Amino acid sequence: MENTFEVKKDGNVLEIVLGQELTTANAPALMDELNKYKNQGVEKVVFDATALKYIASSGIRTIIFAKQKLGGNPEIEFINCAKEIYSVFEMTGIQEYINFIEK
Amino acid sequence: MRKLHFQPIKDKADEIVNAVIATEEVSSCKKEFFALHLVCEELIVNVASYAYDEDADGYLDVEIEKSPAEITIRFKDGGKKFNPLEREMPDTSLPLEERSIGGLGILLTIKQMDSVNYEYSGTENILTIKKTISNEK
Repeated sequence: MENTFEVKKDGNVLEIVLGQELTTANAPALMDELNKYKNQGVEKVVFDATALKYIASSGIRTIIFAKQKLGGNPEIEFINCAKEIYSVFEMTGIQEYINFIEK
Repeated sequence: MRKLHFQPIKDKADEIVNAVIATEEVSSCKKEFFALHLVCEELIVNVASYAYDEDADGYLDVEIEKSPAEITIRFKDGGKKFNPLEREMPDTSLPLEERSIGGLGILLTIKQMDSVNYEYSGTENILTIKKTISNEK
């Protein structure tokens, strides 16, 4: 099971390449990693979800965290979001605040 | 009916989730698997993290029953009395920047299952979820 993620900052854009799952097992580590970019002028957070097959509420919390706690109310973008994950976003109503991009 | 007993459960949520979703009853629900996985994780993480005091040797029993039309999973723990259905639901109409960060797990549980029922019996919290299953393979 691939539970890794990669975070990199390019100018004002923070890019997070997600693994297959974002769950209680790895979301806290991602949250800690995002914390390092607090108040560093991040204007956009891009989640590359190409490999992502499963997300739990702890994963959704990291998205809310990125929006609320990085500072500056960054734009949130999701690349290649699977249908099932999109439907979880819909249940929580957060899909309205995310730009979905297919690449 | 399949009965699984987990003890100890502290820091074992991931292992317990994997054991439950690997059962034939759950893994054979192809179309509903994503929802069942998500809901099992939310409920098991809650019990493993919050039901018992830090030094208590808590347990979690999981009973799984599958009929051709429906799957029922019952979670029983002997921890502090807690009805997650009484928890205040997050307001999903609020913009992302104003959202509270908690309560999402139980919201997703209720939305994904056909029924979620809580009872306290003897010394146990019993949470029962039911989901109608399709016969699609």
